[in-house]
Amino acid sequence: MNWISRHPGWTMVAAMLGLLAFLWGLAIPLSAAPAPIGPAAEQFAEGARITVWLTLIAGSAGIVLGVLGGMGKLSKFLPLKWLCDFYVWLIRGTPLLLQILFVWLVVPTILPESIQLSDFACAAIALSLNIGAYNTECVRAGILAVPHGQVEAARALGLSPLQTFMDVILPQSMRVALPALANNLASLVKDSSLAYAISVVELTMVGYRIQAESYQPIPVFLTIATIYLILTTAFTTLTSALEAQLQTGQKR
Amino acid sequence: MPQPDTDRPIIVARNIDKRFGAFHALRNVSASFSEGQVTAIVGPSGSGKSTFLRTLNRLEKHDSGSIVIDGIELNDDLKHLDTIRREVGMVFQSFNLFSHLTILRNITLAPMRVRKMSRVDAEAKAQALLDRVGLKNQAHKYPVQLSGGQQQRVAIARALAMDPKVLLFDEPTSALDPEMVNEVLTVMRELAHTGITMLVVTHEMGFAKEVADRVIFFDEGAILEDTTPQAFFTNPDHERAQAFLAQVRHGF
Repeated sequence: MNWISRHPGWTMVAAMLGLLAFLWGLAIPLSAAPAPIGPAAEQFAEGARITVWLTLIAGSAGIVLGVLGGMGKLSKFLPLKWLCDFYVWLIRGTPLLLQILFVWLVVPTILPESIQLSDFACAAIALSLNIGAYNTECVRAGILAVPHGQVEAARALGLSPLQTFMDVILPQSMRVALPALANNLASLVKDSSLAYAISVVELTMVGYRIQAESYQPIPVFLTIATIYLILTTAFTTLTSALEAQLQTGQKR
Repeated sequence: MPQPDTDRPIIVARNIDKRFGAFHALRNVSASFSEGQVTAIVGPSGSGKSTFLRTLNRLEKHDSGSIVIDGIELNDDLKHLDTIRREVGMVFQSFNLFSHLTILRNITLAPMRVRKMSRVDAEAKAQALLDRVGLKNQAHKYPVQLSGGQQQRVAIARALAMDPKVLLFDEPTSALDPEMVNEVLTVMRELAHTGITMLVVTHEMGFAKEVADRVIFFDEGAILEDTTPQAFFTNPDHERAQAFLAQVRHGF
């Protein structure tokens, strides 16, 4: 942990490289394992890649949604505030599984025939909307934590409201919001498993299939759990390094 | 002591009224300030002196009356406000340096964003200003790494980087440890001789006496005395001012 806070840049690079190497090379050590793991090594690796893709796409989209939602909830323009309030109320008040099924079953009937959404895209959209709502509250808390004097100083220097937000408020609010956002990201890695319900073959689905074929749930689920742990460790290392990076100017 | 070069008024405030709910903060305040004039604004806590200063760059909105700065009316017109804020710098009691930026970036941000100055020019200017306030070697530190007195000197440099015609000081030494007050006053004293218009809300009677061209005494939201430092400190007209002086002198 100390090393992370002293070398946040290197830690981020290392965590990213580690994650990539893991995803690429996962099949190699697994194929050496005895049945039922060895023969299915490539399936495990593919499932892990889908899980990471879902996490990265929904995680990034969720940050954008969270920042927009957090700004919107604090907006003085009431219709925008109400819209963002409604969004958070709706998403937090309904199960994620229902949201995934809704996007999968209902959205295609609304869209024109020419637009086809893949199962993966449906899962990514539902997960983005879900984490976006939770991120909204974290970002809002972050913005509220920025001392008002910072805003006054920026405005007194002649910065426009938008410049004040982008240059002063947002970077400072992220410093506060990041631990909570990282928490949401760690949840997302695991929540992405619910995409199995709409037949996205991610990690949990792979495990379910292989144990059903082999009747050996213990080694299969242990493998899956280990892969999840490695993934969440990589993601949390990444976010704590980012946190350390953003703490500059804050430590005494 | 240099006299103001001209009698051209740069700030004209007429009949300013301001209420915070039931509290009547400013009562029919009128005052005009000439270019190059250094005015000390004194008075008991809650007398409206800070509020008055803050209405001059619209950190507080006045309820009625008119404020004209360098020929431009201060009102809801955002263009007017942007122009005025470029010409009017402010130094705050609690410094309000941007905590996530280095000292150098604190100073270059507004010139680059608002005046569209190039980074190279802005940094050269920032270095020159840091040199002027005696902080040549601190450019790459963060605000928390500096003492209060150093932070306030950076805040003065930051305001000067916009080449303001008017500099507002809102109790610039009130948050400082006693041994740091002088280093800030020294910088302000030098500034006063450069011909910039200064309005200084202060409890430093020594500074008001030596440096100011004019002293304004606020009490209960109104200007009670508006005279020369000599007249104010030797023979104030009003009993409230006499009582105030007796109180602050007690500390000396």
